[in-house]
Amino acid sequence: MSDGGEARRTRVIRTDYLARVEGEGAMYVRLDGREVAEVKLRIYEPPRFFEALLRGRAFTEAPDITARICGICPVAYQMSAVRAMEDACGVAIDAGPLRDLRRLLYCGEWIESHSLHVYMLHAPDFLGYAGAVEMARDHREIVEQGLRMKKAGNALMALVGGREVHPINVRVGGFYRAPTRAELRTLVDPLERARETALATVRWAATLEFPEVRRAPELLALSEPGLYPIDLGRIVSDRGLDIAPAEFDAHVVEEHVEHSNALHARIRERGTYLTGPLARYALASAQLRPLAREAAREAGLGPVCDNPFQSIVVRAVELVQACDEALALIDGYVEPDAPAVDVIPRRGVGHGATEAPRGLLYHRYEIDDEGTILDARIVPPTSQNQLAIEEDLRAVVEASVDLPDEQLSLRCEQTIRNHDPCISCATHFLKLTVDRG
Amino acid sequence: MAEQAAGGAPARGAQPAVVVIGVGNALRQDDGAGLEVARRLRGRADAAETGVGAALAMPAELAVLEYEGEPLGLLELWEGARGAVLVDAIRSGAAPGTIHRVDASREPIPAPLRGSSSTHAVGVGDAIELARALGRLPARVVVYGVEGACFDAGSGLSGEVEGVVDSLAEAVLREARELAVVSR
Repeated sequence: MSDGGEARRTRVIRTDYLARVEGEGAMYVRLDGREVAEVKLRIYEPPRFFEALLRGRAFTEAPDITARICGICPVAYQMSAVRAMEDACGVAIDAGPLRDLRRLLYCGEWIESHSLHVYMLHAPDFLGYAGAVEMARDHREIVEQGLRMKKAGNALMALVGGREVHPINVRVGGFYRAPTRAELRTLVDPLERARETALATVRWAATLEFPEVRRAPELLALSEPGLYPIDLGRIVSDRGLDIAPAEFDAHVVEEHVEHSNALHARIRERGTYLTGPLARYALASAQLRPLAREAAREAGLGPVCDNPFQSIVVRAVELVQACDEALALIDGYVEPDAPAVDVIPRRGVGHGATEAPRGLLYHRYEIDDEGTILDARIVPPTSQNQLAIEEDLRAVVEASVDLPDEQLSLRCEQTIRNHDPCISCATHFLKLTVDRG
Repeated sequence: MAEQAAGGAPARGAQPAVVVIGVGNALRQDDGAGLEVARRLRGRADAAETGVGAALAMPAELAVLEYEGEPLGLLELWEGARGAVLVDAIRSGAAPGTIHRVDASREPIPAPLRGSSSTHAVGVGDAIELARALGRLPARVVVYGVEGACFDAGSGLSGEVEGVVDSLAEAVLREARELAVVSR
């Protein structure tokens, strides 16, 4: 986990079990005395393969192809893709039953993804376990709760999306088939139970002990009057950015950095920013549904949460939000006249931005008159958050410099996990970890 | 994308005695090995139905699934089954194409095969151990792993893995049949 190096005053903290490829350091922190000299993260491989794969394909294929970039958030990829393609073709599904269905499906993904992160990945950090398996032996009920909630999200994704993994019912213009009211009613019971569990999760998460860390990167999220950001909106920040998705390219630059395959995104002439639950909450906590807002208040969250370790509480609040909103959408659901609107391709460029569970996901496509994709650009949340995570690491290490290496290393891993990054998320082969002794 | 690829849990009550689950991602080269094994077994089942390959028929108590999702979803896929055979790609440093077999009902998944390649997913080995801790593991679970050569983004299997997929499918089917007989 660590090696002292030759110079006595130099400490190196590294971990490679986050890495996709054996032997490649995922995290590298070098301290000179009490000073943090270097922080390097190799946490994300951008979807360049998919961008290349998309060129020459039909515009209608983008949602299915991009869904395969991530096994945890396929709906996010589909939703940003369909928004961008519809934008290119001059279609906007901003209201009505088709939009409601999209938002409903997206709620399912938030429930699934946040349950996984809160219970299986983040909770062990706070309860002092190496992982969910070890935690399950002592806290069976907590793990079972998480699995039940995740299952409710899966059921929602399976019904609306056609399948919970890589949903196949989503298309440019809407859906292949819209669910009936009766079908959606079958989700009410599990979602009501999930909502109760989510409320309990907020109360439980609020009792955890958090390291004292305050961070203030620029926060960026979608924004739409009256609604918590999920599926569409302008892109705003807490420092005055307020742009349409079409302007994303002009305001956000991606730069290659030497130590990582990933492109690091920055806001032009300003720098680091953060997307995800902390940003959404800070920018839109007033738009939470009353139940979620009240849960946040009871948990002691102010209008802004600036301690990344408390993101577990914010995710729990978003679980309440997603369950409650899903139930409201089901209650108000009117079956659409047609499951999709016609989208006729035309030459042009389209942009789509939606809120994946872990942050803003931006797609841009250029298509020709036949709808053939000429160019694709995908900017996932993790490449946007990478700089902010590195800066968190630097701050956390500086504040925790007296911890022994092993604890410091764990604290660093937790610091990364606070932002639920997609670390080469699309592979899940069994992996052999070498003990370096 | 295979039309029959099953991502979701089968309908409750219809769960067969033994599920064969190919796990992986088809767009991560050798990570798709488990899916390919499942696909070939399905292909045989389809041939058997049309009478072409009756000799290859799979017992009715077997279901073959392809799964590209997050590994905890396995707990729902095998719910109600008495046996499960998982097929996945593996990366242990052995020669590409090497086939590993772990009888998870007899021994825990070895520590080196636990853990995940991602911080936001629990790995396949962890999913099995979590299920065990929660009493949600089928009575018999056998894991087959084929050592992959390349897991970069891209489609298609490496030559080394492609060369063993058929014999792996054979071994998996044999194992699944045995589990089906034992669990009757």
